[in-house]
Amino acid sequence: MKILLLEDDEATRAHLERLLRAAGHVVDACATGQDAIFLGSSGDYAVLILDRMVPGLNGLGALKALRAAGVRTPALFLTAMTGIEDRVEGLEAGADDYLAKPFAASELLARVNALARRPPIAETVTTLQVADLTLNRIKRTVTRGGTRIDLQAQELKLLEYLMLHAGEVVTRTMLLENVWSFHFDPRTNVIESHMSRLRAKVDRGFGQELIQTVRGAGYRLDG
Amino acid sequence: MADALRSAPIRSAAFRFALLLGLVFAVGAAALLLVVQQQIDGYAREATDGGLRAEAAILKGEYAQLGLSGLTDAMDRRRELGEEAQFRYLLSDAAGRRLYGDLPGEAARPGWNTIEVIEENATSETMTSLGTRLPDGLLLVIATDNFDVRNMRDRLLRFTLLSGVGIALFAVLGGYLTGRLFLRRLDRVNLAVDRIIEGDRSERLPMIGFGPEFDALARNLNRMLDRNTAAMEALRQVSTDIAHDLRTPLTRLHQRLEQMRESEPIDPAMVDEALGQTDEILATFQALLRIGTAEGGVGRQRFRSVDLSELMDRIHLAYEPVAEDAEHGLTADHQAGVVVNGDPELLAQLLTNLIENAIVHTPLGTRIVSRLYHRDGRPIVEISDDGPGVPVHEREKIFRRFYRLDVSRSTKGTGLGLALVAAIAALHRAELDTPDERTGFSVRLTFPDLYPGQ
Repeated sequence: MKILLLEDDEATRAHLERLLRAAGHVVDACATGQDAIFLGSSGDYAVLILDRMVPGLNGLGALKALRAAGVRTPALFLTAMTGIEDRVEGLEAGADDYLAKPFAASELLARVNALARRPPIAETVTTLQVADLTLNRIKRTVTRGGTRIDLQAQELKLLEYLMLHAGEVVTRTMLLENVWSFHFDPRTNVIESHMSRLRAKVDRGFGQELIQTVRGAGYRLDG
Repeated sequence: MADALRSAPIRSAAFRFALLLGLVFAVGAAALLLVVQQQIDGYAREATDGGLRAEAAILKGEYAQLGLSGLTDAMDRRRELGEEAQFRYLLSDAAGRRLYGDLPGEAARPGWNTIEVIEENATSETMTSLGTRLPDGLLLVIATDNFDVRNMRDRLLRFTLLSGVGIALFAVLGGYLTGRLFLRRLDRVNLAVDRIIEGDRSERLPMIGFGPEFDALARNLNRMLDRNTAAMEALRQVSTDIAHDLRTPLTRLHQRLEQMRESEPIDPAMVDEALGQTDEILATFQALLRIGTAEGGVGRQRFRSVDLSELMDRIHLAYEPVAEDAEHGLTADHQAGVVVNGDPELLAQLLTNLIENAIVHTPLGTRIVSRLYHRDGRPIVEISDDGPGVPVHEREKIFRRFYRLDVSRSTKGTGLGLALVAAIAALHRAELDTPDERTGFSVRLTFPDLYPGQ
């Protein structure tokens, strides 16, 4: 897919370009907020990746201008700052996701994919289906091959997120943020503990294992 | 040197106040003198005029009853009093000839007049005279001197001047002495300030005295100094600790990178390890930044009502399987509907830090309880365990940055978890303490009453 990258630090920009191209994306890179507005307003990008802190008009200002001009392209903010303040400001300016530097390559790629795929599954979709696994978002019930599976609330939320992003890699951080609203890195295996219980209920005894571990990146639900 | 104040008492504020007071007294005395003099003048004039009028009436009566001889007899009787005689007289006939009396001829005028009389000893005296027409064309002039009134006025003037000058002198002297006293006390304070400026951080201001308000000022300034000293000490300690704490992971990273240069092909496990080291360093910086912003009070303006019951339930559900996997028991006893004013993300971080600490730093089989309740209208959070506990003398220290109990040195972590807890608690104005447990360890957070007075 086609991605616009705004990053003023040359080394970082080159690194990110290489990373995104290696993952099969087409990248237009720029170093100033003005360029980002000019390029971004064309509207033919799948995702915008904006560094928050660039000299002159920063990423925040550029995104505000783009949103004001009616550009709805999903945007991911990059920042070296770690304050909650920054994230809230970014989201208020119209960003769809937020990633603190430094980050693993897999984290960035997973988030870019998740952003680009965002529109297809609307909130109005009430039933999620992957292979023989079905989740009813209204009744909060899960069945696999017609067999009812009892899940705890947080396990169900976890499975729901995996199914909404079926076929994509979701990282631990994405799960922490979206399932538990934790915007920090826990020291213990919160994700692993829940994932092993979810797998025991959803995958064990059904033959095909739907939840895959992607080494060094996260998890993926595949049909 | 703060020597601007160490000058003559004559320039002190106390002296200036005294001078001002002296001036006010002087003006007051002058005004008083003026008013009193006016009153006395009025009174004296009334007394003199009344006397003259009465005397004239009496003598008029004598003349009417006893004729001219009766009148002169009456005046003779009065003159026989000599020095004590109150009045002097002049009686003239219709042609203006003197019949009786020793007042000068020009005094022979009817009505009220002021006349100058030359005495035998050549002194001049001002007198008030009243001329009255008698039947048969006679004119009787009675005069009395103003000596008593003038005398009184003079004495009063002297008294007022003397007391005015005296009061002013006392004020100046008092001001000088008070000024000296003030300066001497303040000099001690200034000397203490000098020593503090020159780097003696343990120096404190002496009590100024004079009154509770001055001592309260000195005490407040000392409290400010205590706080600043503590903050500076903490800052110095933190920079030392950061340098110290980061040396280990940086050294390991350095070693890994050197090993990687030697090895061919590069072992991915080594790269992972090096990345792990950088993550550790970054985690330390991230935690330090968060502590810094929380301590700086950043984010308080974004505070809102947080359903602490819901938040703690959510965290409990998140950590129940973690505790189970680590073979710990985690139970929750949360009162429903407890609300605090705060930042939900920071509160979540605080609570998870406490629960993770309890899981990581206690042996298998330890039971952890997460409690939430109200006491006296204040929401209280308590995370306790029945593990080996923390020695009492170390309980204060564990909330410092990089402080680690000897037993937990080997466990992974930044040593900043509880420091962040303390910073977030302080940001929420929640009191943090470690109640004495018979067994294990407990951290308690007492939030401020959200609706005081209800």
